[in-house]
Amino acid sequence: MTRWAIIADLNRCVGCQTCTAACKHANATAPGIQWRKVLDVETGIYPNVRRAFVPVGCMHCDDPPCLDVCPTTATRKRADGIVTIDYDLCIGCAYCAVACPYQARSRVDRPAVAYGGRPMRHEHLREDPACIGVAQKCTLCADRIDQGLADGLTPGVDPAATPACVTSCIAGALHFGDVNDPKSNAARLLAENQHFRMHEDLATGPGIFYLWSGASDRESGFSDAPSMIAEPVGMAAVSPAHQQSWDWRAAANFVLGGAGSGLFVAAAAAITGKTAVIPMLTALALVALGLTCVWLEIGRPWRFINVYFHARRSWMSREAFAAVPFFGFGLAAAYFGSVVLAFAGAACALVFLYCQARILQAAKGVPTWRHHWIVPLVVTTGLTEGLGLTAIYSAIAGLQASTMQLLALALLVLIGLRHVTWQAYRGALGAEGAPTGSFKALDGSPFRLTLGHQLVPAAIVVAGLLADAFLPASLAVAAVFVVASGWVFKFTLIARAGFNQGFAVERMPARGAGDSAPGIKPGWTLS
Amino acid sequence: MQRATKRVSQVSTYCYQCVAGPDLLNVEIEDGVATQVRPNFSAADVHPAGGKVCVKAFGLIQKTYNPNRILTPMKRRNLRKGRDQNPDFVPISWDEALDTIARKLNDVRHDGLIDASGFPRVAASFGGGGTPTAYMGTFPAFLAAWGPIDMSFGSGQGVKCYHSEHLYGELWHRAFTVSPDTPFTELIISFGANVEASGGVCGVKRHADARRRGVRRIQVEPHLSVTGACSAEWVPIRPKTDSAFLFAMVHMLLHEVDRTRLDLEFLKERTSSAYLVAPNGYYLRHPRSGKPLVWDLKSARAVEFDKPNIDPALECQFNVSGRESGPDDTAWNHKNVSCRPAFAALVDHVRDYTPEWAAKICDVDAETIRSVACAFVDHAHIGETIEIDGKTLPFRPVAISLGKTVNNGWGGYECCWARTLLACLIGGLEVPGGTLGTTVRLNRPADNRWSSVTPGPDGFMHYPMNPTTRGEWLSRSPSRHAHRTLVPLAANSPWSQALGPTHLAWMMQKKGLDHLPEPTRPDVWFVYRTNPAISFWDTKAVSEAMAQFPFTVCFAYTRDETNHMADILLPECTDLEGLQLIRIGGSKYVEQFWEHQGFALRDPAVNPQGEARDFTWIATELADRTGLLEDYNAAINRGAGGVRLHGKGYDFSLDTAKAHSVETIWDASCRAASAELTDGAESQGLDYFRKHGFRVRRFSRSQWYLYPALATQRLRFELPYQERLLRIGRELSARLHEQDITWWDDQLAEYEAMPTWHDLQRRWETALAEGFGVDIADYPFWLLTARSMQYAWGGNAAIQLIHEVAGNVAGHGGVIMNPAAAARLNLAEGDRIEIASPAGKTEGAVLLRQGIRPDTLLMVGQFDHWATPFAKDNKAPCMNSLTPMMLELTDATGSGADLVKVAVRPIGGAA
Repeated sequence: MTRWAIIADLNRCVGCQTCTAACKHANATAPGIQWRKVLDVETGIYPNVRRAFVPVGCMHCDDPPCLDVCPTTATRKRADGIVTIDYDLCIGCAYCAVACPYQARSRVDRPAVAYGGRPMRHEHLREDPACIGVAQKCTLCADRIDQGLADGLTPGVDPAATPACVTSCIAGALHFGDVNDPKSNAARLLAENQHFRMHEDLATGPGIFYLWSGASDRESGFSDAPSMIAEPVGMAAVSPAHQQSWDWRAAANFVLGGAGSGLFVAAAAAITGKTAVIPMLTALALVALGLTCVWLEIGRPWRFINVYFHARRSWMSREAFAAVPFFGFGLAAAYFGSVVLAFAGAACALVFLYCQARILQAAKGVPTWRHHWIVPLVVTTGLTEGLGLTAIYSAIAGLQASTMQLLALALLVLIGLRHVTWQAYRGALGAEGAPTGSFKALDGSPFRLTLGHQLVPAAIVVAGLLADAFLPASLAVAAVFVVASGWVFKFTLIARAGFNQGFAVERMPARGAGDSAPGIKPGWTLS
Repeated sequence: MQRATKRVSQVSTYCYQCVAGPDLLNVEIEDGVATQVRPNFSAADVHPAGGKVCVKAFGLIQKTYNPNRILTPMKRRNLRKGRDQNPDFVPISWDEALDTIARKLNDVRHDGLIDASGFPRVAASFGGGGTPTAYMGTFPAFLAAWGPIDMSFGSGQGVKCYHSEHLYGELWHRAFTVSPDTPFTELIISFGANVEASGGVCGVKRHADARRRGVRRIQVEPHLSVTGACSAEWVPIRPKTDSAFLFAMVHMLLHEVDRTRLDLEFLKERTSSAYLVAPNGYYLRHPRSGKPLVWDLKSARAVEFDKPNIDPALECQFNVSGRESGPDDTAWNHKNVSCRPAFAALVDHVRDYTPEWAAKICDVDAETIRSVACAFVDHAHIGETIEIDGKTLPFRPVAISLGKTVNNGWGGYECCWARTLLACLIGGLEVPGGTLGTTVRLNRPADNRWSSVTPGPDGFMHYPMNPTTRGEWLSRSPSRHAHRTLVPLAANSPWSQALGPTHLAWMMQKKGLDHLPEPTRPDVWFVYRTNPAISFWDTKAVSEAMAQFPFTVCFAYTRDETNHMADILLPECTDLEGLQLIRIGGSKYVEQFWEHQGFALRDPAVNPQGEARDFTWIATELADRTGLLEDYNAAINRGAGGVRLHGKGYDFSLDTAKAHSVETIWDASCRAASAELTDGAESQGLDYFRKHGFRVRRFSRSQWYLYPALATQRLRFELPYQERLLRIGRELSARLHEQDITWWDDQLAEYEAMPTWHDLQRRWETALAEGFGVDIADYPFWLLTARSMQYAWGGNAAIQLIHEVAGNVAGHGGVIMNPAAAARLNLAEGDRIEIASPAGKTEGAVLLRQGIRPDTLLMVGQFDHWATPFAKDNKAPCMNSLTPMMLELTDATGSGADLVKVAVRPIGGAA
């Protein structure tokens, strides 16, 4: 089966950006939007320094993370490996953008012009309203490939059937072809040269292959892993940067949605009868408010219904689906005071909460989100916040002492559980590495899930248990602390520690008769 | 979304925005609007880079539709000029604009074309490397019809070009520009040459192919440029010490490498190595024929150098008799005087230039210098030959290339001499794989290096030096920078004025030099495709000088810093709007040596925007309104538009009595081009070129190499000994002193038969300290610049797309600094700093990179705009405002180097 791919010969590339400009011409991308660009990468310490130029863009992955996460099925993968976007389906949620480890996707929310004011004639002519507010990225010039094939041309050989970036490359660094066809130029280059793919460890199967070997190391392998450089200089465009797709509105969904679903679960479990109505309705209001916030963030809000198109694989679709019965059962439970309905609602709330956690885990482009420990951490955080809110409500409503004691004990358990999962998450992240900026954000937060910070509410709860008279007050104070630290953590996670993957070069290329050198993973650290 | 069907077509044209062009491209047109630039793959088989264009060409669409364009003629209403003045330009009609200009010109013609100082009353300045001629249609014919024009007000020539390389390169091997024979070479030692940024599409493609082939390029340069990045090795040398490295390489080859590893045959037969040097430093000559003598080892006696069947000695000393001719007909008759061959003198000359000596100067290990020199010899393939187009030629696949600041200004002579000499030592000059010249500008004809090889004195090629002998020397040069007075090597071709000391023209507007004619202002100054208020040095002084010019006409794309001082702005058709035919292929600048040559058409892709007019129309109108139509048409017929309209068996000459339309002129040019390419057999005109875009015929690869042209005529490269330069230097000294001119004495010292090494860092430091009365220790950094492929020569700082994509390449828009140096100053990435030289100051953001010496700062490109729309908002710094124009920093060829010492201090805030 055909697998179109780009071969980038790093020995040849001079970083001239002709491909960048040609792509902008071919696709009429807005000022500042670059589907193809060439990175300027430097390694080493003076005077032993290497510099390389690395073309990047959509990798048209074998297993594209953007495809799985897309809630609308706007993102699809063709049989020939090309990943496409249906602009008419996309709601502009930017989930694909945070899922992409190659920062290949952009969203333009309003028509942009190079010089401000009115568009120039060519800008006006090539404006495409369909591209506004939706995800966009390299199409691999699929229209040229398709038309070329229809005309009997060979992509990668005939310029008219080859992506614009490849045909424009003045250094002959970019090649294109079917890597599954052993007779193709692309397959031959791969067979004859050592090569790597970016972020191979993420198992996305990217479709840009980088040739790096020179005359002296063509026959040898290499074992040096690219060095993590925590604070590289002059590499801002290469190092991880904070993702720009999801801001406080997305964070609000995780903060409010997590706490709201946790509150519903806790209220259903701990409070019975009409007393549970207020926390349940509060829970639903919080979730609704969170969803409203995220609705305000999407580029095409009036197409929001498309979010239900991909329940088979997208956790965002599943979250949306979970919200429907959650609200149904929740409202019904509040109205009828039914324990059964309340438990049904709680089950849906749990699913909703779990979906939120999985949404983050599926965002492969953000190392702090995609870690598998994020799932228990987000779930326990949501439950802890929910229990905390329940405790606050209990204190205010003056519920029975036994209920208060039960809530206090449960809160202690959840504080502990949340701390354990945090420790596991943070420890694993530190052991495996993550963007330096993420660590700084997580570790610099005013309320943290660390032992030192969490001992405070735990101690207050224990004090309340030891002195019954003070239990409601101490429980409320501790709960405020618990909820605040959970919310701060999630806000930090989304809006402060959400650094993207950045770029990495597995191997600095040999230049002519020179040698290759170890690569670099800038802006990453173990900690 | 499916688009409505549009009318889509393609137009072929060319891009000649930089000297490394021209390259061919297609423009896609939708409903009459240019939308895309694409390579021209129909030229893939004839263009060395497969019909592709570089990133700059992709800026042309925005260039066409840029809302900041000047789209009507305009006149200035505020008669006061200066940076602080609002010019108050108002739109006027073409008639009013042309009548105003014609009235001024007619006044000038009435008063006389030459002013009281002997200078042309009309001056013109054009941009990078002659590229504007590819866009100015028949304006050269108007200038030719006009008469004397002063082109001495440079826009970067002399201070921003490969000046010493241009002059000495032309003298030694018709090499206005020098290039490795990249398609064949194995080893390139590059001293600051930045071919990946300035070599154009052909350079990039050829070097990429060479890398894939396994070429070893060693980049010797204070910072890790784009070219350094693409090289096998980087040697971070101390700024402006390259001559020491090169001299040490010469020392290595002559003192540490076995003689048999040199190409002794080449040295004996194709150079002056065997010429005997007499006691006063001039060749010992035959008393009757005047020919230089060599010592024939076969007959053990001195014979004329061109006597057949001899074996000239390269070494030892011999007692011989003969005549020695010095300057101004001075002569000495010698009897049995001890003489040695020039080669032996060379060996002695470089004895002390050891790698250890150079190591201290260059801050490069002696062993690194040794290994580079050894690699040079190891890859030379002495004795091997290769067949090129049926001819057997020497094969020497090693070359040395020099970059800006290395091959211009003080030290340029040393570096160019050493580089060319090293090529001679291994027989690698103008042979396959070796060091080539690729274009000729000062010698004639300018379109054919081979034809420019004509016999001169002493077995060397002829060179059209400006005279220095008594009675012939020109004490008054027909230019404001005295190029014919001061620089014999600048010659007297149409290009010579640009190769003079152009900064002297600007400097003298402020204060004249003693005993030169009063430095008058031009009555009329034309400016096209250049912005010297940004691209020259001491931009403040240059701006102030041009503000004093009484009448300036700028062909204006947008408002800019130079046309801020203009009286009339004329909007001409830009790249995609105008019609013109140019020559392509053959052997041109940099790496533009093709296997084809011919012509390409710039076919208008779109209608002109606003009131923009084709440059040929403007030229015709000016000729008509100044009564020069007949001379103008005659100049076109002679070839001033790029192609001679008549030749053997064809004549498409225009009727000189009437004004012709733009299409008529270029149709005749296309017909003449077709006839020229087919030896008169065909005569297709504009329609043919519109359909095909270009037309070429074969250009033999063997013509890339000058060696066969010299060998056929039994000529020699004038190396290693510069007897001719020594003589003219003495003569020039006498002439200047006869006029009581002593301010050029330092420059006269450069006329050495073999250059001695000078401490250039100290020269700069001393000149700056004494010139500005500062303690140079307060300026600890050397500031350099580097070309940017995205911007170089393009005049495209106002193009958003170029700005956007250039941002992906480190260094644009700020000051590159080594992190260790920054740490010492508590500076971090993005910090705003003031960069001050003794001459001026500017501001920029710190850009940290490991690939730069800690004692060096780098500002890429030329910015500091304050009037150009869009560019002025980008706040990018430039070293031009920090670099002084000083006589002390001007070399004998009249050039300077982009180098200055600076201090930095934080000014708060982040970029």
